[in-house]
Amino acid sequence: MTKAATINAVMRTLADPTRRAVFERVVRSDEITVVELTRGSGVTQGAISQHLKSLKQAGLVAERPEGRNVYYRAQPEGLAPLVEWMSHYAVFWRDRFANLRTLLKEIDR
Amino acid sequence: MSATAMMTDTREIVVDEVFPHAPGIIWKALTTTELIGRWLMMPTGFEPTKGNHFTFQTTPAGEWDGVIHCQVLEATPNERLVYAWRGGHEGNAEYGSRLETIVTWTLTRADGGTRLRLVHSGFRAPHNAFAFKRMSEGWPKVLEKLETIVGEQDSTAADD
Repeated sequence: MTKAATINAVMRTLADPTRRAVFERVVRSDEITVVELTRGSGVTQGAISQHLKSLKQAGLVAERPEGRNVYYRAQPEGLAPLVEWMSHYAVFWRDRFANLRTLLKEIDR
Repeated sequence: MSATAMMTDTREIVVDEVFPHAPGIIWKALTTTELIGRWLMMPTGFEPTKGNHFTFQTTPAGEWDGVIHCQVLEATPNERLVYAWRGGHEGNAEYGSRLETIVTWTLTRADGGTRLRLVHSGFRAPHNAFAFKRMSEGWPKVLEKLETIVGEQDSTAADD
């Protein structure tokens, strides 16, 4: 996968709130199975598996089969493309919009 | 009104908000040097004319002096302002890396005012593979960042 494709995949993958929640649980665990992720999630095991598949394709999680279980763990490298200019400017522009709103209030009386 | 700062899979940052003001006053804030300086950064040499070159001074990093070089690509009063936004240096990895982007402002009439849409496009991953260095900050920091970046798609800013 090219780097541009990677960044696309990461964006798309994490845009889904449920998938992001799954990812965050994987992150907080050392290693975790689909069964453990499903427990208390309110989502079916099949849905969790699909989310894990997407996360794996985006390079955000890695899997380790052991016996009848598959253990998932987070891969920090998958997030590296996010921590670049885009994150800088996402925050930058949001702040600037707030400034603009304040300024317009002042100058448009 | 929903205010989102999000990143789409086309590698753009989009901020879209409705302001309770007429397009004319917003255009003035976007294109008057003194006013730009009050909400964005003070530009040097700005004129709202196609072809105009101007700069912003930002924080330097490594071999980059921090100067953002801009060029007006389109200026349609009260409707659309587009400028190139370039900076950075190949030698830098994250902040301060090479940047070749386009900033597009679009103003449209909306209920109760004007919809102002910013699209900052053209972001790409650095060429240098070493730029993808492992994150040393650890996961809590990363998650915090992730919440800021991606979580904004769900968040709604308070309206005035």
